[in-house]
Amino acid sequence: MRVNHRFVCLLLLAVAVRGAPAQQTPRSIARGVPQDAPRSITIDSRLAADASLHVGDRVVVAAGTGEPGDTVVIAAITQRRADPAEIARGEYRVRLHLGQLQSLLGYGDRVDRFAIATPSAGATADAVARINASAFGFQAHRSADVAVETSKTFAVVSRFHRAIGTITIVASAIFLLCIMLLKVDERRRDVAALRLIGCTERTIVGSVVLEAAAIAVLGSLFGVVVGGTASFLVNRHYQAVYRTPLRFSIVTGDIVLLAVALALVLGIVAGWLAARRLVRTPPLALFGR
Amino acid sequence: MTAIVEVRDLAREYRMGDERVPALRGVTFTVHQPEYVAIVGPSGCGKSTLLNLLGVIDRPTSGTVSIAGERVDQLDDARATEFRLRRIGFVFQRFYLLQALSARENVELPLAEAGMSTRERRARALELLEYVGLGRRERHRPSQLSGGEQQRVAIARALANRPALLLADEPTGELDARTGAEMIALFERLNRDGTTIVVVTHDEDLARAAKRVIHMRDGTIVDDVRVDPADRRVEPVGLAPEPHER
Ligand SMILES: Nc1ncnc2c1ncn2[C@@H]1O[C@H](COP(=O)(O)OP(=O)(O)OP(=O)(O)O)[C@@H](O)[C@H]1O
Ligand SMILES: [Mg+2]
Repeated sequence: MRVNHRFVCLLLLAVAVRGAPAQQTPRSIARGVPQDAPRSITIDSRLAADASLHVGDRVVVAAGTGEPGDTVVIAAITQRRADPAEIARGEYRVRLHLGQLQSLLGYGDRVDRFAIATPSAGATADAVARINASAFGFQAHRSADVAVETSKTFAVVSRFHRAIGTITIVASAIFLLCIMLLKVDERRRDVAALRLIGCTERTIVGSVVLEAAAIAVLGSLFGVVVGGTASFLVNRHYQAVYRTPLRFSIVTGDIVLLAVALALVLGIVAGWLAARRLVRTPPLALFGR
Repeated sequence: MTAIVEVRDLAREYRMGDERVPALRGVTFTVHQPEYVAIVGPSGCGKSTLLNLLGVIDRPTSGTVSIAGERVDQLDDARATEFRLRRIGFVFQRFYLLQALSARENVELPLAEAGMSTRERRARALELLEYVGLGRRERHRPSQLSGGEQQRVAIARALANRPALLLADEPTGELDARTGAEMIALFERLNRDGTTIVVVTHDEDLARAAKRVIHMRDGTIVDDVRVDPADRRVEPVGLAPEPHER
């Protein structure tokens, strides 16, 4: 099995040179096993599935097609992280020991980027400052800043989503109000009868508003169930398509709360407006005299 | 005899743009407890207009209306509503029951509005349904009742808060002859039991059952006769403002 050059280049980034551990591991392995025993690599589950590879299989890794390579043994199969930046990537991921990677690529003792883990946010700021002050030719960044930089597209997309959401809410509010006016208007006879037998405006408006509120809450709970189901189906579909554990759609407590509260407010306002309009009409006019 | 209804020079004019439609042109009469009065006359003569004024549903252009000793012609909306709830029972040609509620719940409505406790109003509603002969149908919705039965529920509802005055506008208008006759018997029983009734009708049988018949034409009273209960002989009582006080 030959792994093509592009993957291997990517590996240089993917190996996420964790400083010491990445370099210690090969040494310790080299010490414990015979010199010519194949070294270990990890591959991602997607590659494992597509090439039907298993832990313990031996494969040849090379810098390019037709180039000489090393025989290695698959030590582990990794799952992809739930990272939106990764889902659109078609490439496979292979991790190998840094020394072996460098020798395969003929890169020598060189890396483009590496990551350093720090114990705290303070230590991060300190490390960034010290590296930038002393190192020549490269720049240290906080991973959070890098993430913000690379997720700018997501920010734009998410702004679009918010706009779509707002438009939907405004449109459905108008829709709800119209439905409510029509629904309450169907009750004009009832309202007239209630007025004639001596029910006060307050009783009538109150009962309409109460009913509207109850309908709004029930409706929004129904909406939450529909949303939850749709969300589940969307996730199941796209997780299969992209082979990622990433959740594409989520219904959070905040969203449920917002939806119910919004529906409740809209229901109450619409019910109140509609009922008030009827109650203000003289009861005899409501009978269509 | 206590005067329940006192009407003086009552006029009601409808305005349709620039045009004025005089529906009532100066009507005067008194109804005592426990009278049973039928108002009859050709269509458009102002019967419903008069009844609506008695029921404090509408306000006159001029003249006064007193019900049970209280002036009601200029009540504001809230006071009129309160008055209707406590003092007036209204029965309509088309029943106007709430379709979503059972017979008992319809009767309970004015009781609940008057602030009666759940247990009390339940008992009172059942008693009233029993009275109009619908004791067994308390759970039925209006759509599960015949027209006559619905009108009985409407009458029970009208009587709920023991009104001083029961008003009915064409209560037999939607009913067949037999059911109409049952309704007439029910009104007679109500009156015997002490309810003051004013009914507007085209139904001659219903009018004949009343003890007094007021004839109207073109917004005025043209005749006011008392029916002798013994032989149902019609005796004119004249057109004076106080036919019963002579
Ligand atoms: N809301 C209104 N606006 C304008 N005119 C009205 C209104 N209500 C009644 N009228 C007019 O007043 C007059 C009396 O109407 P009213 O309904 O009192 O008659 P009625 O005696 O009850 O007739 P019917 O026996 O057909 O029910 C009629 O000419 C009618 O057209
Ligand atoms: Mg009429």
